[in-house]
Formats: sequence, C-alpha cells, structure tokens
Amino acid sequence: MAQHGVFEKVVKILTPYVKNQEALDSVSLETHILDDLKVNSARLVDVVLEFEDAFDIEIADEDVDSVETVGNAVALIESKIG
Amino acid sequence: MQARASFTLPTGVRLRVDIQRGVARLLSPLTTFAVVALLRFWLRLSVENHAELRQAYQRIRGESKAPLLICANHLTMIDSALIAWALAGPGWYLLHYDALPWNVPERRNFASTLPRRFLAYVYKCMPIVRGGSREQLAETLARFAHLLVRGEVGLLFPEGGRSRTGRVDPDNAAYGVGRIVRSIPGCRVLCVYLRGDRQESYSVAPARGDRLCVSLAFVEAKSDHPGLRGSRDVARQIVARLAEMEREYFDARQ
Repeated sequence: MAQHGVFEKVVKILTPYVKNQEALDSVSLETHILDDLKVNSARLVDVVLEFEDAFDIEIADEDVDSVETVGNAVALIESKIG
Repeated sequence: MQARASFTLPTGVRLRVDIQRGVARLLSPLTTFAVVALLRFWLRLSVENHAELRQAYQRIRGESKAPLLICANHLTMIDSALIAWALAGPGWYLLHYDALPWNVPERRNFASTLPRRFLAYVYKCMPIVRGGSREQLAETLARFAHLLVRGEVGLLFPEGGRSRTGRVDPDNAAYGVGRIVRSIPGCRVLCVYLRGDRQESYSVAPARGDRLCVSLAFVEAKSDHPGLRGSRDVARQIVARLAEMEREYFDARQ
C-alpha cells in the first residue's frame, strides 16, 4: 500500500478520537497525536488496536512507545506490512 | 498467555533506583510519621475497621513473596498516602519498608518545583508526564516493574487519573497497568477501593474529619490475547473489579 494510502487510513482511524478538530483539518506526518490532535493517552492503545485490525498486522507493546506523531504511526505500519 | 518478564534496566538506572530507595529509607522515620500526623491530626481522618485492614495487609505480605501490585480507584490527590496509612502504621513500615508502596504520580501535580520533587523522591514516587513521551513513560514503567520483581510493593491507579464522575469508569482503563501485570511473572494484583463517607466527587483531599471505608480484593486478571490486546484486557478486568467493589460499597450503605 502506498504511503499516502496508509496515511489516509491512519487519519480515518484517528478521527473519532481527536479532540482538536482544527489540528485534524491540517493534519500531516509531523502532527503529534497526543499534543496536537489531543487524543486521550489512555485511548492511544485503542487506536493502535484499530491499526492492527485495519492493516492485519500485530504491533508489540514496545512499538507503541515509538508512536508519537502520525508519521511514526505510518512508518510503523509500513514496516509491518512490508 | 502471560508475557515474559521484559523489564531489564541499564546499570546506571538501577543504581539511581537503589539510591532513591536508600535515601527514602533513611528518611522514612521522619516522612512516614509526618504523613500520619497530617492525616490524623490535621485532616482528622479515620479508617473504618482499621485494625482488621492492617492485619489483612500484614497477612498478604507474609503469605507470599510474589510481586504485589496494588490497583486502586482514584478520587483525591492524596489517595496513595491514604492507602498506605490504611494498610499499615508507620512503625510497621519502618520494619517492612518494602511494603510501603511505590507510586507513579503525575509530574505536573507532584514534582513541578524543586521542593515537590524532593518530597516525591523521598516518598517513593517516580513522577511521569501523563500523555508525555512514550519512551520516558516506558522507562518509568520498567523501573517500577523492576522494583516489584525485587519484592517492593507498587501502587497504580488504573483509571489513569482521578475520576471526574466520582465513580469508577470501566471504560477508562489505562493499558499500561495490564502491560506491567503481564510482564511480571506471578504478579498478584490487589484491588483497593477507598472512599470517604462524605466523598461525592473528585477532590484534592477528603473532607476534614471524614471516615474512610477501604476494601481489599485480589483479582486474577488474565488474557489469552497477545500484545496490546492482552494488556488492555487485563487492565479492563482490574478496573471492572474496582467497579464491582464500588457497587458493593454503595449496596452496603443503602
């Protein structure tokens, strides 16, 4: 899947958890998921589990710690789907 | 499926943890009695069935050397002190310092200034920034897990913060708790439900003169799922047990 396709799917999954709509409107690979989009940190794991289901991948506990920006999430998913 | 122990600390980090424990232990004759004096004589708090509770905790600590994690509901900013005081007296903690729980408080609340950082340090706290760097959070959780494996007791609030509704929210389980439990082989989880008679919602501290009700229950939280899903399952089971204890609390008062 091309990077843009992964990015769009990631943003779609994030959307219901986002509290800052303005940041979502200008979302990019550099957008910080917790600081900019204001996703509740306790909900981050739900987001990552949705990534697992949507892309049919498995993400280790340790890998979640590296997900801070949308770009981190896209890179992680791309590394899993090869 | 239980995950294997995955928390290995670099020597420098381990040394820092040992130094903190040593300093906290050294000052504990002062710090533990000071907290009890504040709770009893300034806030004038009391605990229902206090002697029985303390006996129960001593029995729990005596019957097994397995790692022990206390998971509690969260309504006031001094809940960790209240729980420690409810479970044992300062004299007993001096002799059983491992049983005085370590805490992971929010840095902005408890370690924002130098004096606060010092107090957090000597009261067995490892402050974190909620929603902060995931890697720093992971390192703090690794230090916390390391201490549990060594026989220290840990205390976490699996809802992540004080309940804004005043009730345990089963949908608000911080998965990090599940991650810790699954990463420590044989980790026992002791749920503690604590509430003052006059506690309606969340607050800084219980109302002055309030009587605290505390109940204890072990929960065997397990999941067949691997990874994150398993950690989330375990965290949810722990919070569900706390919600059940809350129902029991209110049922008993009707």
